[in-house]
Amino acid sequence: MTTHLEQELEAIKRRVFEMADLAIESVAKAVESLKKGDTRAAKEIVGNDSRLDRLEVEIDEECIRLLVTRQPAAVDLRFVLAMLKINTDLERIGDLASNIACETIRQEGRPSLKPLVDIPRMSEIAVRMIRGAFQSMTEMNAEAARVVIESDREMDDLNLQVYRELFSYMAEKPEIISQALGLIMAAKALERIGDHATNIAERIIYYIEGIDIRHLEE
Amino acid sequence: MENKIQANNLTFYYGDVPAVRDVSLSVKKNSVLALIGPSGCGKSTFLRCINRMNDIIPGSRAEGDILIDGESIYHRKYDVTGLRRRVGMVFQKSNPFPKSIFENIAYGLKINGVRDRYEIEGIVDSSLKSTGLWEEVKDRLGESAMGLSGGQQQRLCIARTIAVQPEIILMDEPASALDPISTQKIEELIQDLKANYTIVIVTHNMQQAARVSDYTAFFYLGELIEVNGTEKIFTRPDLQMTENYITGKFG
Repeated sequence: MTTHLEQELEAIKRRVFEMADLAIESVAKAVESLKKGDTRAAKEIVGNDSRLDRLEVEIDEECIRLLVTRQPAAVDLRFVLAMLKINTDLERIGDLASNIACETIRQEGRPSLKPLVDIPRMSEIAVRMIRGAFQSMTEMNAEAARVVIESDREMDDLNLQVYRELFSYMAEKPEIISQALGLIMAAKALERIGDHATNIAERIIYYIEGIDIRHLEE
Repeated sequence: MENKIQANNLTFYYGDVPAVRDVSLSVKKNSVLALIGPSGCGKSTFLRCINRMNDIIPGSRAEGDILIDGESIYHRKYDVTGLRRRVGMVFQKSNPFPKSIFENIAYGLKINGVRDRYEIEGIVDSSLKSTGLWEEVKDRLGESAMGLSGGQQQRLCIARTIAVQPEIILMDEPASALDPISTQKIEELIQDLKANYTIVIVTHNMQQAARVSDYTAFFYLGELIEVNGTEKIFTRPDLQMTENYITGKFG
């Protein structure tokens, strides 16, 4: 028989996973809309963002209620603390996906400067990172969460590569500056999404092992 | 920080049944150790071993040893009366004497040979002040202690305990029968008293253990399962068994 505490923890977990699914969908679709110049899909993603915002508030409320009424300890306490923070990361990921979708809308269906390769690649890695982090939580596997963190370097490298490439493009053809800046912004947003996925993985390691690995490399 | 109390492989029997098995742990001077665990786990028995309160139970005996300041309290020549002066105790149910507030505190001093009236008055004052009772009772020291509220009675018992200047205070669920405000006062008192005493407290309230103690020991079926810093125990205990207990996944 599960206790009320376990049921409430499970309910929070379900909400957070629901939010993660929405965030993943937003990232993938935002980049897809950018690639295809699909403004209709882009508008849908911007609309999705309010659902993520609502979930963020609801999850915060549920976590606070549980802290006050159940006073969880040890692994349960770490779970609630981790969810409170992961919640914020997911909301930020939603905002960043929304920024990418806004870029699609701003381009108004104009053909892309060139076929997008690195940006969709970044989107794939971002999605893989977020999925991987939540998978590691389901399996209570901190090692898998550490693998997620390692992918962040790839995101940083790709972002730099996109930036360099578009920078030299802009030097050659000043008339494309506006469009190129939009793409630089999109790559930067994806790089930030990678950072948030890293944060999520770090918080999952805290939940599983009780150790805070943030900023250890520094 | 030096160890004030050191239990070495302590086993305590009621008749043939060991209530505490092979417990070794140390308590640092001027720290608070909380003992937690389900009913019947041996935590109160262990607590009462520290001032040999269990000696009076027929058929009971201890193996192993407890050292206070490095000295064995189970040595057959050890002065048990002196031990109980050094190691005061506060119980779950407050037990003031049916005497005046003043006499409750003065009593222990008198039987310890303090005769000087001014000295006694001075210690009564300071004991009441350090337990936060002074402001509440200063105008009625001559009235019966039985007229005080439950929380005040318990603080009076603590004042009575510290009047004879012990080094260690044992507390067996000192706030379990009190309302939240009185409980909070007792908990704050524990924090204040730590500066001058070493405190061991048994509590069933895990949040209380988390609030008042520096170290927490988890007992189960007479055995010490884990002793660790309180923050560590409540956020990241070393053992799964401890985690199960403090997260309520037990039994």
